[in-house]
Amino acid sequence: MKKSISYLSVAWLLFFGYFFVLMLQITLRYLPFGTEVAFLQIKQTEVTGISAYLPVFYIHVYSAIFVLLAGFTQFNPKILSKYPKIHRLLGYLYAGVVLILAAPSGIFIGCFANGGLMAKTSFIILGVLWFWFTFKAVQFIINRKIKAHKKMMCRSFALATSAITLRLWKVILVYLFHPAPMDVYQIIAWLGWIPNLLLAEWLIKRKII
Amino acid sequence: MMKRILLLALLPFLMLSCRENKKTNAQKQAGGIAQQEIHKELYGFWVGDFYTQDELEYDGDMTDAVKKLNINIKKITKDTVIAQSVVSGNSRPLLGKLSDDGGKITFVLDEPGSEKYDGKFEITLVGDTLIGKWNAYKTALKWPEKQFKLLKKAFIYNASLMLPTEASYVDWSDHKMVEHLDTLEDGTIDSLGANAFYRSASDQIFKLNASTVLLNEADLKNLRKLDLQIIKNTIFARHGYAFKKQTFRNFFDPVEWYVPVKNNVDNDLTAIENKNIKLLDRFTKYAEDNYDAFGR
Repeated sequence: MKKSISYLSVAWLLFFGYFFVLMLQITLRYLPFGTEVAFLQIKQTEVTGISAYLPVFYIHVYSAIFVLLAGFTQFNPKILSKYPKIHRLLGYLYAGVVLILAAPSGIFIGCFANGGLMAKTSFIILGVLWFWFTFKAVQFIINRKIKAHKKMMCRSFALATSAITLRLWKVILVYLFHPAPMDVYQIIAWLGWIPNLLLAEWLIKRKII
Repeated sequence: MMKRILLLALLPFLMLSCRENKKTNAQKQAGGIAQQEIHKELYGFWVGDFYTQDELEYDGDMTDAVKKLNINIKKITKDTVIAQSVVSGNSRPLLGKLSDDGGKITFVLDEPGSEKYDGKFEITLVGDTLIGKWNAYKTALKWPEKQFKLLKKAFIYNASLMLPTEASYVDWSDHKMVEHLDTLEDGTIDSLGANAFYRSASDQIFKLNASTVLLNEADLKNLRKLDLQIIKNTIFARHGYAFKKQTFRNFFDPVEWYVPVKNNVDNDLTAIENKNIKLLDRFTKYAEDNYDAFGR
């Protein structure tokens, strides 16, 4: 039994590690800092028109990659039991980055998202929920409510991984249907996080986490 | 003594007049320059389909779709015709002769022969139409003989011209294979084999005019790469750019107003057009890098 769990951990690490590297590559496109790189190529209206857009956008890009580090350690039962210090340290990093940097900046750039009102609504809800789940999880652990903390963090991280699933859905939908770019964007804005959250709720209900 | 001085003084003038005589003689001998231009009414662009008899019956390969030929007659004198042919994005100088046989006007025009698709045009003026055939110097070509009927057409840049909506704009020159999967009753997934996917344009290409309106990002965000390329190249088509790429020749050659005139229109672009091209290029690059990739 113990062995099968560690196989699962290794499989997860490889799977998650692969997408982490892809996300890291996307992040590295924004180094060095530029006003017309990558995604910003089609965001010049905001870059030139809204003075806060560019700094907030970069806060999001540079901070969000650290959030994903949690996927390697925070749900690993071995680390949880044997190295609680590592869990605590990375926990501070995760909660700090989400609450101070990634979630607020995500909500802000969500207000100017591509794909019109439909996409904007989704990204704003996503950002608010992400902040709320993370905030609650921190509150619970301060009060030593470990089970409730775990549930909330499960939800929080499910939303964090929407960075990956959103992009994955895009590849799938474009491959299958060749939709116009903003048509696909309106769909993935929702598809990127709702199934993730449903999966988290299912895992919580089944007491898997 | 006086006479001698006078003679010496006159000598340079005499020599000069002598040289002038020689010059005019040389001019007469060289011909051309001083020759009178004739049939000026034929000057201009003559445009029409460029096809082979076989090709009309041949309905397989779209890459051999009917091409547009433009012959630009620039100068006609008694024994020389200077012209230019533009076909398939290829602009070639033509040199030849016009014969006027009791009102029946015929041309023989030669391309230089330094390129693969060079050949000889034989043309007859029938009413308002130039009818003729072209024979390649290299007879080993796939289509060594072509025919054409050309009508005289004024080329005027008109910023408001748009692609006609009755045609469909599909990039037949390039495709990718997409596998079609089918889930069977027992749940297994069966491949139905790969089908060719061709890019087709949206109807925005009939609505967005990049020559008259300064476009913004919101106009272009929902467009695929092909739409962006067509909107950009419609600018060039309005200026008479002779497209080198098959894809765009397929789109623009059948367009009634399109006259392929030159190989470079960079200096003809307006300020609006230049700004729009910059924007379109940025979106095209973004579409290339990101449309089907893991990213946004």
